[in-house]
Amino acid sequence: MPDSRLPPGPPPVRAAWVARSDGADGMDGVDDIDGQPRRPDDAVYHTYQSDLSQVRDLVRRQAREAGLTDARVEDLVLAVSEVAANTLRHTRSTGTLAIWHDADEVVCEVRDEGTITDPLAGRRRPPPDASGGHGLWLVRQVCDLVELTSDASGTTIRMHMARRARETAG
Amino acid sequence: MDLLTTSVAKVESGSEPYTLVELVGEADVTNSDALHEVLDAEVAKRPRTLIIDLSGLRFMDSSALHVILRANRAMDRQGGVVALASPRDPVAKMLRLTAADQLIPVYASVSEASAG
Repeated sequence: MPDSRLPPGPPPVRAAWVARSDGADGMDGVDDIDGQPRRPDDAVYHTYQSDLSQVRDLVRRQAREAGLTDARVEDLVLAVSEVAANTLRHTRSTGTLAIWHDADEVVCEVRDEGTITDPLAGRRRPPPDASGGHGLWLVRQVCDLVELTSDASGTTIRMHMARRARETAG
Repeated sequence: MDLLTTSVAKVESGSEPYTLVELVGEADVTNSDALHEVLDAEVAKRPRTLIIDLSGLRFMDSSALHVILRANRAMDRQGGVVALASPRDPVAKMLRLTAADQLIPVYASVSEASAG
């Protein structure tokens, strides 16, 4: 599906994050979301503006269907809910969730009209008593791969979970 | 049905009285203001111990966590203690990943929390 909201040029803020249970960590261009969105035709879409419970229910259903373990289902539910919560906090518009899976992974992509200006958002753990900033940290901790692209027209965050995961600690 | 239900009780049994706030449902950004009001009202009564029972909480996001951390700071300032009791696995993991469990003690049950 073509996306008219993403501009043709590279956005000013762009980061792809990898967090793996083996401790490998760093920038990774394995799945560039600036170019061709890789959403397949059978992706499931959901638009939200105020009800995150529906968002979580949909993610939970789809992740279970894809065979994720209960713990990893809840990891993905938390990640998507945190990203969608940012839509409610920082924008007055709706957000859109797309979910799909292939043989290897489940992917949840959240788009909204907010702008993230810090390219390192979520890369450092805020102090535990910080009054904000834990959301993207959590997203990055629980997902196998997180990609983020943001510019003045909006933000897209894509969260990946392998369907056959190595056992993760915690 | 509300996404999040809160109930408050004063528990007098045992060695020391404490305030018990029970959270049932899902706590997220859409009801964190309401949660803040509930906790704020209890903190204002200056209990020695405020125990938050998380056993009925199916989901908690970072907004709800921030509200709890704020209550913890306020209690700390007035010489009181906040304890969390029986979080389900996903909530316990979230408390661990944010290191909130290093600021607020987490117990397996309300009775353990009240025993300190």
